[in-house]
Amino acid sequence: MQRVTPVNQKFEPQPVALQRHFFRRWQNVFALILVLFFVLVALAADVLAPNQDIFWPSDLQWADDPLGALPHPPNRQTLLGTVVARMHRQVDIYTVLVHGTRSAFRFSLMVVLPTAFIGILVGALSAFFGGVLNMAVLRVIDALMALPVIVGVFFINQLLLYSKGDASVIPTIGVIRHAPIAPWLSSLLERVDPVMLALVLFSWMPYARLTNTMVLRTRQTDYVEAARALGANSGRLLWNHVLPNSISPTIILLARDLGGMVVLQATLTFIGLGGGSDWGWVLAISRNWMVGTFADLVAHWWLFLPPILALVMFGVSWNLLGDGLNDWLNPRGA
Amino acid sequence: MPPLLSFFLRRILSIPISLLIITAILYSFMMMTPAEERASLYFPANMAHMTEEQMVRYTELIIERHHLRAPFPVQYGEWLIHLVSGDWGWSPTLQGDVLAYLLRRTSVTIELTLYTLLFFIPLGVLSGVLSALHRGQRFDRIFRGTSFTATSLPPFVAALLLMAFFYVSLHWFPPERLGIQSSLMVGTDQFIPYTGLMTLDGLLNGRPEISLDALRHLVLPVVSLSLFYWATLGRVARVTMLEELNKEYVIAARARGIPERRVIWRHVFRNVLAPSLTSSALMAASLFTGAFVIERVFNLKGISEMAMSLISVPDAPACLGFAIYSVIIVLVIMLVLDTAQAMLDPRLRQGLLST
Repeated sequence: MQRVTPVNQKFEPQPVALQRHFFRRWQNVFALILVLFFVLVALAADVLAPNQDIFWPSDLQWADDPLGALPHPPNRQTLLGTVVARMHRQVDIYTVLVHGTRSAFRFSLMVVLPTAFIGILVGALSAFFGGVLNMAVLRVIDALMALPVIVGVFFINQLLLYSKGDASVIPTIGVIRHAPIAPWLSSLLERVDPVMLALVLFSWMPYARLTNTMVLRTRQTDYVEAARALGANSGRLLWNHVLPNSISPTIILLARDLGGMVVLQATLTFIGLGGGSDWGWVLAISRNWMVGTFADLVAHWWLFLPPILALVMFGVSWNLLGDGLNDWLNPRGA
Repeated sequence: MPPLLSFFLRRILSIPISLLIITAILYSFMMMTPAEERASLYFPANMAHMTEEQMVRYTELIIERHHLRAPFPVQYGEWLIHLVSGDWGWSPTLQGDVLAYLLRRTSVTIELTLYTLLFFIPLGVLSGVLSALHRGQRFDRIFRGTSFTATSLPPFVAALLLMAFFYVSLHWFPPERLGIQSSLMVGTDQFIPYTGLMTLDGLLNGRPEISLDALRHLVLPVVSLSLFYWATLGRVARVTMLEELNKEYVIAARARGIPERRVIWRHVFRNVLAPSLTSSALMAASLFTGAFVIERVFNLKGISEMAMSLISVPDAPACLGFAIYSVIIVLVIMLVLDTAQAMLDPRLRQGLLST
């Protein structure tokens, strides 16, 4: 007996839709579980790794390593082993990884939410009020998309350098302290992380493009025209009718970017541009034992495998979640 | 004028417009410094002998001479004219002309980017197409699994793992640009760098072993950079291929008795190439970021080396020069990919299809 599709399937209440589409694919469930795992680790970081200090107490001596210059495999006290940051300072990898989840979430949320906000705002407003303004804004957005993110990081770094005071060594070009902007703004800018600011300033373009396309499409639908005919003003139209129906691709992009920003943060920390990623920092200091003079991939497995797994699994979880959302919100024949 | 040529000319003309927009924004930020500080860029090396009052008068003189208090359009226009005529400023940290420094190091970055593009674009499209053709079978499942892992693996992690395995353990592919023997040969006067690309220069100078050595050193950087883009392109190509295979002209062609092989490779495949390249053109800026990271990991002396010396040092001309130079590189990559796309799909030449 064939299963008859009910006529009013599109009026399904949300929980049923979730169960029918989203949880059917095992990848979506897996992604959700992974994401929840990372959230739990981040929230329970103090409980899971009670020792807040990532540097192993310097009075601890190893018998075969009195100087503390070698990394040590997992043992009873350091669950995932240690790596050497500098002489006598061993870093407990487990604590770094667990607390790194917190800094990862903090970073990604603080970067992605303002980025999406700016992008959606610019894209929706310019598409809504259309015409020549929209074409000009789109042109500017396309031009700005040619600026790579890393160049933006260098540029913002340069802007936020404060004057050195002594003009004897190198001519100083410190912009923010002397710029003609309000003092509260300049003090705020001096304290913000340049990498975060650069990522926000140079990553909002895809959101704007997407929202632009979607709002242009939604603007011409019947229900918006009907609402306008009933007397709704622009703000109400935008907020109640146009926006809710045009942000679904943006949500997918947001989910993917939450993972992507953490990976980008780890990359920037690894090359030395800052960003404060604990996972990237651990990989940077473990580099000598992976490729270098004392390299031995198998013997030093605890140095790179846990951080890489943490980083990749974080990215995988948000990627899968984005894919699942894409599948759910934009179903396609293929 | 043939539509392809007019498309190419239109795209080339849009590069200066994009550059104008970006440089206006970047320069306006740099302009926020007060004039006295910007004047210090033009100071000669030894100023210790001047008194306070002489310093003030000298600064005023420089401000007058270089119009450092003129309104924004005037200063911007002057700076643009300097830019176009080749004077990109003098960098105090690098102690050299900014443009000369950049040009000397471009060849490494160009070589890396060129080989990456040549590597991942054909492979990515082919993998995606083959995966779509064998949908559900082993090849498809393997491809989907590996491409997903590759999109989640950051380039520097892939680089580290590949280097640890292929270099440290196996000694197959070394990092950096050339081995000791080749770099000694390159350093002599008899070696003329015609293009700056080591792989081509070796052949042009009649020394193929240098080219081979350069290729051997390029394997790991190119592979680790391409991994992510190969996977993304492959997935796009796969989805596009699956959509194309459902279209009506395929059914019509099969009904007319055209052999399956010709239907796929002569008709469907061509329609898949263009949308795949669209996604590549959008990734041009991210490709530059990736190339930067790979240069740092493998210690290749490209543009990234110049940039790293600028991190905590206030050096506006070098920073601006680096920014504009990288934007130019990204725009050129976009131009090449867009033109290739227009060559493959005639609908794009006249803007009949929104990409």
